[in-house]
Amino acid sequence: MSVLSKLKEAIVCLKAGRVTLPYPAQPRPAPPKFRGRPIFNATKCIGCGGCASNCPAREILVLDICQEIRILKYLGRRCAYCGRCADVCPEKAITMSLEFENATNSIGDISQTLELFMSTCQRCGRCFKEKSPLEQLKMKGYRFDDLKNDRWIFKSQSYLGDEPVVADIKLDME
Amino acid sequence: MTDMLKNLCKKMFGRSLWVYHANSGGCNGCDIEVLNVLTPYYDAERFGIKLVGSPRHADVMLCQGPAMRSTAKALKRAYEAMPAPKLVFAIGSCACGGGLWHDSYPVIGPVEKILPVNYYIPGCPPRPEAIIYGVAVALGLVDKKTAPVQIKQMEYPIPLYHPDDLHTKDEMIVYEKIEKL
Amino acid sequence: MEQTLIQTILAVIANVCTVLLVAPFCQGLLRKVTAVIQSRQGPPIWQPYYDLLKLLGKDDIESGDSPVMQRFAAYLSLATVLTLACLVPMGFSAPMNGQGDVILLIYLLTLSGICTLLAGLSAGSTYSLVGISRQMMIMIALEPLFAVAIIIGAIHTRSFRLDTVLNGSVYANDGFPWSGLIMLCVMLLSFQAFVERVPFDIGEAETEIMEGPLMEYSGPKLALFKYASMVKLIIYSALFVAMFAPWGSGFTFPLGLLLFWVKVIGLVLLVTLVAATHARYRIDQAIRYFASLLLVALSALVLAGYGF
Repeated sequence: MSVLSKLKEAIVCLKAGRVTLPYPAQPRPAPPKFRGRPIFNATKCIGCGGCASNCPAREILVLDICQEIRILKYLGRRCAYCGRCADVCPEKAITMSLEFENATNSIGDISQTLELFMSTCQRCGRCFKEKSPLEQLKMKGYRFDDLKNDRWIFKSQSYLGDEPVVADIKLDME
Repeated sequence: MTDMLKNLCKKMFGRSLWVYHANSGGCNGCDIEVLNVLTPYYDAERFGIKLVGSPRHADVMLCQGPAMRSTAKALKRAYEAMPAPKLVFAIGSCACGGGLWHDSYPVIGPVEKILPVNYYIPGCPPRPEAIIYGVAVALGLVDKKTAPVQIKQMEYPIPLYHPDDLHTKDEMIVYEKIEKL
Repeated sequence: MEQTLIQTILAVIANVCTVLLVAPFCQGLLRKVTAVIQSRQGPPIWQPYYDLLKLLGKDDIESGDSPVMQRFAAYLSLATVLTLACLVPMGFSAPMNGQGDVILLIYLLTLSGICTLLAGLSAGSTYSLVGISRQMMIMIALEPLFAVAIIIGAIHTRSFRLDTVLNGSVYANDGFPWSGLIMLCVMLLSFQAFVERVPFDIGEAETEIMEGPLMEYSGPKLALFKYASMVKLIIYSALFVAMFAPWGSGFTFPLGLLLFWVKVIGLVLLVTLVAATHARYRIDQAIRYFASLLLVALSALVLAGYGF
């Protein structure tokens, strides 16, 4: 009879007791290989920009202010926590931490900005052409992203002009 | 007397939030995590949260998925159908900033290009605990844990000029390379 | 005994206030026990009070085809159930005993169901029209069951007065109460549908499947509808207890009242148990179920007519 089977189901659930986790009252850590928010370590970073070119969501923007200073900005808006930046970093300066409690009421709270010193020639002070491509990536002119408007620039000549490279889609809503 | 009743009604807003779920073009990963929050393991009903089927009954709209060209109008109409006071939560990286598909042809961008968003819960997909944490931040039960970080590498690792080649001359520090004989 | 006007007014106020204060508590108990059966920590017991207060503080958006009918349906729903509260005995005899009889009770019960239909008509969208057509089908199949129970009581006691019929009158014939026991089984099997809970809440509270007739309501008017459905649970339980389980109502003042509320809470727990373990029926399955119950009820009516 279906009524008896439903009563049995109710008794089984009652015997299980209460399974609700008291989550905000007690903390609940993530498992050890969990990919949470990436943390950028400025003391280890050499400013190569490999993370910026490998990010699938283009969330890491790079700008060279002058020959010696490069700014690396991680905006957390679109980050999908894939971990590619941590995989590619040659100095292991990026770690995917175990933090998942990232809720906020203004999305700029998740950004991390690093200002890095890039070394130059001891005699003349200019950047010299290096032998290996990894060293060549440190030269000025590699990436110019628009940090004021938080957008990446994918055409190499676009920094000369003023036009927006990734245009907004216009939609009418009546 | 009516003021007392009005204050009471405002205080009760945080204790019983009715939620309307609107997915405007996402991959359904965040949908499944939101559904997980309503199961007995991570019970959301203990905060008084109930899932309703019509935007007119709801207080909070949970938006997932980026704003697409085809669903932008429908999303705006659902937002306007909600009675004030209302909140919008953007769940997942697609709703917070466009996600991995931000430059694709049907995607307009994040949900905040169409609606004003009150709380962001990033993640791909966010853990159910992260969603409950976001709701607790909105209700004022816990403080938020994120803040913008700015780090400058203050030590220059290699000195630009060798200290032996610098000498002072009339309040100026002059660099002069001295030939060693 | 005849009541004076003052006594009637006091009794009406007492009944209506009791019903208004206790109805959200019973709904809260229902949600908490459902949560315990589903092995989770549910909302606090006072949650429906918070819900109603929050709904009173929201914006009131008037929309749909005809705002006048929208307002009218909302006010009528709560007004009907509160009038019913005056006619139902809750531990004492009914307050408006001399002013109404059992036929008025049947009409008011039907009217409270019609308010939902008016609400869905005023919205005018496809979802609400489908919802109210299903609700209409269920009402056509369901109201006769209650009417047959009351008529069997009236046949046995040969009067339509509230205090004679609503006092266990279905068992009141001379021999073994066959028709009374048959009607008890029929009413127990169909009680969930009267109070619009899970196996049979097809028309009205179906917000999980479609938005239903209450789709266009927001804020205070929605609070009126939710309150009306909470109060209907108490009213139907009180009617069931008065007609089919009146034992102990002869006790003196505190004990009789307490026993009445214990029986009502027991019935609410039974409703909860069935609601938490069953799935919602489709409309054709529900109509077939009610049709068979109606057949049994009509045979009980025939038996009552012959004195059994």
